[in-house]
Amino acid sequence: MSETLTGRRILVVEDESLVAMLLETILEDMGCTPVGPAATVEDGLGFATDGERLDAALLDVNVAGRQVFPVADALKAAGVPFVFSTGYGEGGLPDEWRGHATIQKPFTEAAVRDALMKAMGQANV
Amino acid sequence: MKELVKSGALDAELAAAFEASPNPYMLLTPDLRYAGMNAAYLAAVGARREDLLGRPIFEVFDSGPTEDGRANARQLRASFERVLREGRRDHLALIRYAMPAAGPDGETVLQERFWSATHTPIRDASGRIIYILQHTTDITELEQLRRRAAGADRKRAIDSILSGNVLQRAEHVQQANRELETERNRLLEMFMQAPGFVAVLSGPDHVFQMYNPAYAQLIGHRDLAGKPVREALPEVVGQAYIGLLDAVYATGEPHEGRASRVELQRTPDGPLETVWLDFIYQPIRDDSRNVVGIFVQGHDVTETVLSTERQKLMIDELNHRVKNTLATVQSIAMQTARTHRDPVGFAESFQARLLALSHTHDLLTRSHWEGADLRDVLEHETKAHGPHRISLVGPPVALEPAAALSLGMVFHELATNAAKYGALSVPEGRVLVDWGVSDQTSPVLRLAWREVGGPPVQAPERRGFGSRLIERNVHHDLAGVVELDYAQSGFSAEFSIPLDGRSRQ
Repeated sequence: MSETLTGRRILVVEDESLVAMLLETILEDMGCTPVGPAATVEDGLGFATDGERLDAALLDVNVAGRQVFPVADALKAAGVPFVFSTGYGEGGLPDEWRGHATIQKPFTEAAVRDALMKAMGQANV
Repeated sequence: MKELVKSGALDAELAAAFEASPNPYMLLTPDLRYAGMNAAYLAAVGARREDLLGRPIFEVFDSGPTEDGRANARQLRASFERVLREGRRDHLALIRYAMPAAGPDGETVLQERFWSATHTPIRDASGRIIYILQHTTDITELEQLRRRAAGADRKRAIDSILSGNVLQRAEHVQQANRELETERNRLLEMFMQAPGFVAVLSGPDHVFQMYNPAYAQLIGHRDLAGKPVREALPEVVGQAYIGLLDAVYATGEPHEGRASRVELQRTPDGPLETVWLDFIYQPIRDDSRNVVGIFVQGHDVTETVLSTERQKLMIDELNHRVKNTLATVQSIAMQTARTHRDPVGFAESFQARLLALSHTHDLLTRSHWEGADLRDVLEHETKAHGPHRISLVGPPVALEPAAALSLGMVFHELATNAAKYGALSVPEGRVLVDWGVSDQTSPVLRLAWREVGGPPVQAPERRGFGSRLIERNVHHDLAGVVELDYAQSGFSAEFSIPLDGRSRQ
C-alpha cells in the first residue's frame, strides 16, 4: 500500500512550524519527500506553480489568517491531488470544496496516508 | 344663516340662497352647538331660530326617554365625531329621530321621524374644522310607506317603487357598519401598536394599503401609501421577495420566511443595510374566496441572527485554536519521543516543553491575548536556571501572541540546551542576552544569546529536535533569520526578526 506513496513529492502548506514538522516527519516515515513547507498562501502558490513536479499536497485551510483556497484552485488546475487539513471540523469547508478529502487536526499517520491515497486514487480515475 | 352673515363667513347672496333652499340645512360648532340653520330646517323641526342658536343640539333634542331614542342620539353623535376626527364627510342613510310636535289636543308630543343626513366639515383658511354642515332629508313618509307595505304583503308593487328595499338595505348596511366600526377600530389599534411589523398589500402589484409604525421603522420611514412594492421599495427588486408575493397572490398559499436576509435602503443616501426577518405573507380573500391582497407580518430578528453568527465564529475559532494546539502538542510528543529512548527521559523533556508552551499562554492570558513583552517571555523561560546566571539587557519590546508563543518555545530550547551541554551545565557559566530594535519604520528585533564560562563546545553530530525547532520557528513562524554558532569558547545564537506584524499565524 505504501508503495504507491514511496518517492512521492508532497507539498505541505502549514503556518505552524511544529505542525509542519509533524507532517514532514509523518511523510518521511511513509517514504515521501516533503516539499516546502509553505507558511503563507503566497509561498504555497509559488510551490504550486514553479514547475517542479508535485504528486500531491497537504493544505492547512487557515494559513496565517487567510484561506488556502487559491492554492487549492492552482493545484486543481495543474491536476495535482490534495488533502485539506483543518481544525474546524466538517463544517470548516465552503460548499465549493465540501466532500473533498480532509484530515482533522490532530492527525494520525494512518489518517494522513489514507487521505493521500484516496485523493491520489481519485485523481487517477 | 344670519349668524354667518354677521360674521362675514359667507356672503349675503349665498346666505340668502341657503335660507331659501327647500332642503333643511343647519350648522354646528365643533362642540355641537347650533351656529345657524335655514328656514326649511326650522320648519322641519318645528322650532324657532332664537330657541336653537348657541344651544347644544343634544340638549334641544334629547330624543326622548326610550332606549331606541338614546341609541339614535348616539348614532348621530358618532357621525359628528367621525367628521371631526377624520375630517371627512359622513353619511347616515337612515336615522330615526323623534321630534316634538303639537298633539291633537294642542299639547307637545314626540313624533317619530325618519331622516337621512349628510354631515360635511367646513374649514377655515388654516384648514381647521370650524363647522359641521348638516344636510337632512326627512324620509318619514317614505319609510312609513315601506314599513306598512312590508307588514302587509311583501310582494306589493311598492317594494319595487322603493327599488328593491333600498331603505331596508341601507338600514342593514348601516347597522353592520356600526358593529364593524367598533371591531375595526379595535383591530386597527392592535395593528398600529403591534410590536412586530404589519402591512396590507392590495392587488396583483402589491400596493401598500396600510402599514404600522414598526413597518415604517423597518423601511426607514419612507412614504409607501398607495405605491406598489417595486416602486415604494425599489431596492428589494431582485431580492426574491416580489416573486414570493406574486406566488402567494397567484396560488393563495401563505409563505413563511425564517431569518430571511433583506437589503434595505433605510436612509436616502446611505448604504444598503442588511436585516434578517421572520415573516409571513398571508393571502387576503374577498367574499368569493378570490385573493385580493396580502397581509404581511413579521419581526426583525437581526440582533438574534448576528449574535448567533458571532457565537458560531467564536466557537469555530476556539475549536480551530484548540485543534491546532493539540496538533502542536502531538508534534512535540512525536519529535521528543524520537530523541529519547527511555520513557523517563521522554516524560521529563516532553513535560518541560509543554510547560514552556503553557507559560507563554499564561503571559498572553494576562494581556487578554493582546501580546506579551519580550523580557517577560525570556524571564519565564529562564528563571528555573537561576536569575543571577542569566543577564537580560534590552528595551521593552511588545510581541504579538504568535511571536510570543514561538519565541517562548525558542528560549526554552536554548535554556534547556545550555543547562544540559552549555554554560549553565557548570556553576561558573553564564548566559548574556541583549537585544535592540533597529529601523523604527519597519522595526527589526536583533537579539543575541551568548554563553560564557561553560565547557568547551562541540558542534552536535546531527541536528536534534531542539535546533530544528529553533530554526523552523524563526524562519517559518516569525519570517526571521537565526544563526547558531557552536564556537569552542561558547555557544551563541543571533536572531533577526521583523516586528511589523509579518510574523505568520
